[in-house]
Amino acid sequence: MTGLVESKPVVPLKKERIHPLVIRLTHWMNFAALIIMVGSGMQIYNASPIFAFEFPSWITLGGWLQGGRQWHFFAMWLFALNGAIWVGYNVFSRHGRYTTLFRPQDIHGVLPMIKYYLRLIRHHPPSGKYNALQKLTYTSLPLLGLMILLSGMSIYWPVQFQWITSVFGNYDTARIWHFLAMAAIVIFFLGHLVMVAIAGWDNLLSMFTGRGAAHHGEHDTTPSQHERANASPH
Amino acid sequence: MESSEKKSSEESLIGRRAFLQFAGLLAISACSEDKRDALLNKGQEFNAWVQSKTFDPARLAPTYPDSELTPESEFRVNGKEGGTPKIDLANWRLEIRGMVKHPGFYTLDQVKSLDKKVENVRHVCVEGWSIKPKWGGTRLSDFLDRVGVDRNAQYLFAECADGYYVPYDMPSVLHPQSLLCYEAYNKPLTADHGAPLRIVMPVKLGYKSAKWITRLTVTNKKPGGYWEDQGYDWFGGI
Repeated sequence: MTGLVESKPVVPLKKERIHPLVIRLTHWMNFAALIIMVGSGMQIYNASPIFAFEFPSWITLGGWLQGGRQWHFFAMWLFALNGAIWVGYNVFSRHGRYTTLFRPQDIHGVLPMIKYYLRLIRHHPPSGKYNALQKLTYTSLPLLGLMILLSGMSIYWPVQFQWITSVFGNYDTARIWHFLAMAAIVIFFLGHLVMVAIAGWDNLLSMFTGRGAAHHGEHDTTPSQHERANASPH
Repeated sequence: MESSEKKSSEESLIGRRAFLQFAGLLAISACSEDKRDALLNKGQEFNAWVQSKTFDPARLAPTYPDSELTPESEFRVNGKEGGTPKIDLANWRLEIRGMVKHPGFYTLDQVKSLDKKVENVRHVCVEGWSIKPKWGGTRLSDFLDRVGVDRNAQYLFAECADGYYVPYDMPSVLHPQSLLCYEAYNKPLTADHGAPLRIVMPVKLGYKSAKWITRLTVTNKKPGGYWEDQGYDWFGGI
C-alpha cells in the first residue's frame, strides 16, 4: 500500500503572494464602481437613446433619470480616484513592469496566443505570469479607463471642459465615444468572466487572498541592464 | 506532505471567508436605503460645489455658424407636462422684484429697447439630446443692470405662466451668453417655445431655460425649482 502512495506523489502547490494588497483592493473597488457606472449609465442612456434600442429596466440602476445621474456622478469619483491609485501604485512600485506591461517584444507573442485560443495550435505558447494577449489586454485597460473618463467629462461639462469635448468631435459624437468605451469595457468584463471560470476557483481566490500558484517565467520580460542599474538603491 | 495539504485547505477557507465578507458588505450597502440616499445626496451637493467652483464666468459656450444650426423644422418643443399656457400678449408684463433699485412691471418693448444679442449655441437637455438653435434677445445682465440689480445678490428666481419655476446662481445669470430671449431663427418666439419671453442659458442644462417667464426675483434666499425640488441638480451647469 505504501508503495502505491509513493508511486503517485502529491505535488504540493507552491503558493506565493502574486497579487499585492493594493492591486486586490483596487481590483474589487473597480468592479463595484463599474457595476454602478454601467447600470446607471444605461438608465441615463434610456432617457434619450443614441441607437435604436433601449436597455431593459431590470438591468438599469437608479429607478429614474435623476436616480441614475446621482449614482453615476457619485461612482465616477470612486472610479477616477481608484484608477489614480492603481496607476500610481503601478508606476511607483514597479509592480507588473516585467510581468504585465505590454512591450514591443511581446508583439510576436500575440498571434500564437490567438491561434491557441482558436484551437489552431494545440500547445499553450510559452509565457510568463501573463501571456502576450493578456499583457496587451491589461495594458489597454487603463487607456480605455482614461478614454471613458475623458469622454464622460466632455458630456458632463461640454462648456467648462469644451477643449476635451472637441477631442471627441462635439457633444453628440462624444456621447457615442462614451458609449463605445463602455461597450468595450463590458466586452472585456464578459471575456474576463469566462477566463476566470476556466481558470478555476483557486485562481479566483487569489484575487482575495493575494496568494496563488506562482509562475517563475523565464519568459517574463527581464529588466535590462540599464533598468537594473536604475532600480538598485544608490 | 500532510501539513502542506492542510495549509492549502486553510488558505482556501480564508479565501472563502473573504469572499463572503465582500458579498455581505455589498448586500448591506444595498439594503440600507436611507443611508444610501443620504450618501447620494451628499455626492450631489459635492458635485454642485465642484461645478460652482469650476464655473468660469468668462468662458463662453461654443458658438456655431448658421450652416451648422439645427434646421428650424427640427426645433424641438420640450417642457414640463401641461403644455403651452394661454398668455394675453397685449397685457403681458415682466415683473421684477427683490434686490433691485427699480422693481416693477416692464413691457416687452422695454426689454427689446436694450442691445440685441443673437447667438447660435447648443441647448443640452438633461436627458442627453441636444439641438443648436439660433436665439435672439437681451442679455440678462444688461436688463438687470438697467433695473439696478445688486450684483452682489446671490440668486435669481424665475416664475412662469405655466407654473414652472427655476432658481439660478447670480454668476451664471450675469454670464454674457445668458439671455432674456424673444426671438428664435430671427423670428418672434412661437407660443410653444415660450412667447413672449424666455430665458436662454447656454452654460446650463435645458431645464434652466425657462419659458413664458412672468416674474424675476433677485434674492439672497436660496430658491427651489420645479425639477430641483424633485431631486434634479440645483446648479445644473454644463
